[in-house]
Amino acid sequence: MDDLIPATTTQDDVDEDIPVIRANQYILIKMPSGNQKVVTLRPDSLVSLGKFGSFHANDLIGQVFGHSYEIYGRNQIRVTSNWALEEVEETDANNREIFDDSSTQKLSFLDIEKLKEEGMKGELEGKDIIQKMVDSHASFDKKTEFSKAKYIQRKQKKFMKVFTPLRPTMLSVAQYFFVKNPDKVRNMRIDTLSQILSFGNVHANSKLLVVDDTQGLVISAVAERMGGFGTILGIHDGDNHNYDILRYMNFSKHVLDSVTTLPWTKVAKDAAQEPFDYKTEEQLGNMKELDRNGYYRRKRGYEKLQAAKQSLWDGNFDGLIVASQYTAVSILETLLPYLGGSRPIVIYSIHKEALLDACVWMRKSVDCLNPQITESWLRQYQVLPGRTHPEMTTTGGAGYVLTAMRVIDFPTQAAVGMGSRRNKEVDSEDGRSVSSLGTRGTRRGGDRGRRGGWDSGGRGRGGRGVRNAKNRSEQASASALMTKGDDGEPSKRVKLDD
Amino acid sequence: MSFKGWKTHIEEGDLVIAYLSRESMMPIVINKKETYNNKYGIFRHNDMIGKEYGSKMGSHTGRGFMYLLHPTPELWTQVLPHRTQILYAADISFITSYLDLKPGSKVIESGTGSGSFSHSLARTIAPTGKLFSFEYHEERATLARGEFEAHGFGDIIKLEHRDVCADGFGIKDTVHAGMSRHETVLLRFWKCTVVVNWYALLNLIVFLDLPAPWDAIPATKETFKQRRTGKICCFSPCIEQVTKTVASLNENGFVDITMYECLIRNHDVRTIQVLTVADAIQSAKDKAQQKSLMMQQRKRKRQQRDDPKPDEEDKDQDLEPEADGADADADADASTVEQEPDADAIAREVNNMLVTKTPVEARGHTSYLTFGTFLPVLDDDMRIKEVSAEGSG
Repeated sequence: MDDLIPATTTQDDVDEDIPVIRANQYILIKMPSGNQKVVTLRPDSLVSLGKFGSFHANDLIGQVFGHSYEIYGRNQIRVTSNWALEEVEETDANNREIFDDSSTQKLSFLDIEKLKEEGMKGELEGKDIIQKMVDSHASFDKKTEFSKAKYIQRKQKKFMKVFTPLRPTMLSVAQYFFVKNPDKVRNMRIDTLSQILSFGNVHANSKLLVVDDTQGLVISAVAERMGGFGTILGIHDGDNHNYDILRYMNFSKHVLDSVTTLPWTKVAKDAAQEPFDYKTEEQLGNMKELDRNGYYRRKRGYEKLQAAKQSLWDGNFDGLIVASQYTAVSILETLLPYLGGSRPIVIYSIHKEALLDACVWMRKSVDCLNPQITESWLRQYQVLPGRTHPEMTTTGGAGYVLTAMRVIDFPTQAAVGMGSRRNKEVDSEDGRSVSSLGTRGTRRGGDRGRRGGWDSGGRGRGGRGVRNAKNRSEQASASALMTKGDDGEPSKRVKLDD
Repeated sequence: MSFKGWKTHIEEGDLVIAYLSRESMMPIVINKKETYNNKYGIFRHNDMIGKEYGSKMGSHTGRGFMYLLHPTPELWTQVLPHRTQILYAADISFITSYLDLKPGSKVIESGTGSGSFSHSLARTIAPTGKLFSFEYHEERATLARGEFEAHGFGDIIKLEHRDVCADGFGIKDTVHAGMSRHETVLLRFWKCTVVVNWYALLNLIVFLDLPAPWDAIPATKETFKQRRTGKICCFSPCIEQVTKTVASLNENGFVDITMYECLIRNHDVRTIQVLTVADAIQSAKDKAQQKSLMMQQRKRKRQQRDDPKPDEEDKDQDLEPEADGADADADADASTVEQEPDADAIAREVNNMLVTKTPVEARGHTSYLTFGTFLPVLDDDMRIKEVSAEGSG
């Protein structure tokens, strides 16, 4: 199933009047146990949900998301009502006479296995099995009403063959991977991801720089929030990106086109000149068809790469979002110059310690304002009538986020006394100056500015040409270039263009 | 203007967030004839025009400087004029994600309040989405409408002065998500639990008279797009309100009802000195040595007083520790001098470590976020095949 490329649509779900479940797309299936499963709906196939049974994909294709379905008979499904929260009346019952041992259940292990088997064959429905178990439970009547409800709920999770198809969204996909494989997404919980998007002011018509080692969770989230308006440049390891999670999102072409990528090896300016052997029309005419197609593929790949490089060097990014295995300081040293003024920097790590150096580095840097480390805290509640309380188990943590604002220092404005040394540093270090801790305090205001020279404006910032190099319209045309062509990447990966 | 799209340079009429410190930020609207005065001196708006956003700017008097920041909903939340209790980053972020909001989403917000959440919502759903915001307090509605228009959200946010609990929303089959909060009422309720006076009691009665969040829930149902899944969030500070809200959501057929609390905790980075037991022993030894040195000096002075001619032996003994002490002082001086240029780097070499500390006082509760899911209404057009014929369970 993993070799499937989701059918890419031309329309975003948000614009559709009735978004339905499509063939050849990934969907999430919520099972009675509460677990979720990713399935692909190939036409004419049988989708297996393990002990909960199987159903025909065709029966689900074309239906709406959200409703729950019950498997009955021979792999048939029908819409079923979602379980409502039932009011439970309090009675005088208590657990004084209840002994917790297996003798209360009169059905033997083998009897129950047999019931399950009948259920699988479609001869017995989930609720009938549960009723049988309740009937043969010796002390069921002695239980409190709360306890009865809990018992039935537990059995429902085990025997009801009800499932709910869910549309993959940032929320559902993030939750799915956080539960199923937290290491894959660097233990990033949905609330932390949400805050990253807020702190990063991620919205349509932005140009974002993203370093994503969460296998595409961050890129997917950013792409969803930008809705295909604007550009995302993802910096990645190796030659090809590893944004596996992108493919579960069922993004439209419009959204996928906003994602461009660049490997770390091409970030350095010395990787700028990589000549391409352009062929003339005549040369192409003489080529075999196979070779010619190969040439076009290489040419598209080359042009796409050049466009991505240009997009980086043009700078003026509207935000830098990082969730990476590499140290934050090394990433800041490499990418900070490409960020525009008053634009947010957001760095995630599951390890707080990994962010401390970067926080100190930012405090010293005249290019960063107000670095802060925050942690999200989330608590879910059970809200059953009369039984409201926090969930008994929760997640231990959700990582840490370091945020700051990129600012533009004006050396000419620095104080005469303390600032004179810093000015020197700025000159010598070509704009990437680092002020001492001693002068930092005064930087927050209060150091004596030198009179005059205020209106030097955008000048006097040598060495940061990237920031002024291009205006927005030129960037827009560069990003338009990037959306063309086919990169010929392996089919497992979501194609980001074409 | 610039909330829904980034600008690079400051222009006349722009909203700029003047950043003096983390605790001190001020929204200013650029008018070239005006000046902005703060404790660091005079800042002429005219000098700000043409500067790049994020620029550092010195005051005209040269007493200090500030940063000229680009407005974002997050910064706005920190500087906006409070007319009511507002929503903060943790709740805003979580609700936005939980309601699956993105460009193109159509959202209802009941209780515009001070517009903190509205700015964030509008930012997220722009340029193709719509926010229908309802406020029953006329003056607040007018103020908020003015702000939305000034901030460039005029075409995204449709604000209506209306009591949705009494009159409903007046919208049918339109939205993807809804967000209900009646903090204007709840705020009064909160205050009266803290300050019990005549005025507060009056407010309490007003609260009881006024409709409550759960009254708005039946009306929300028809606002949802009837053929797709929608989501609703109710924002209430008290647990009793959650109970009633949950019951109402349940009665009205919403599913996946759940409730969350979300907070953000700060961790301040600082350095501390690494001290060991060996340090404690050394420090005690040093003190003891100093003490004995003082005793010796005192003894010598006494001897000098008593006997003007000290003998040779004493003199030798005295010299050594004194010399040590002088060296130590010299070392200390040298290190303080050297620490000046880059105290942090040196400090870290000298057995310091980076740590974090949580603040002594932090926000402990904002509100409970109760969520529910609206299910598409099934009818014959929905291609529910033979299933619908058999009827649902």
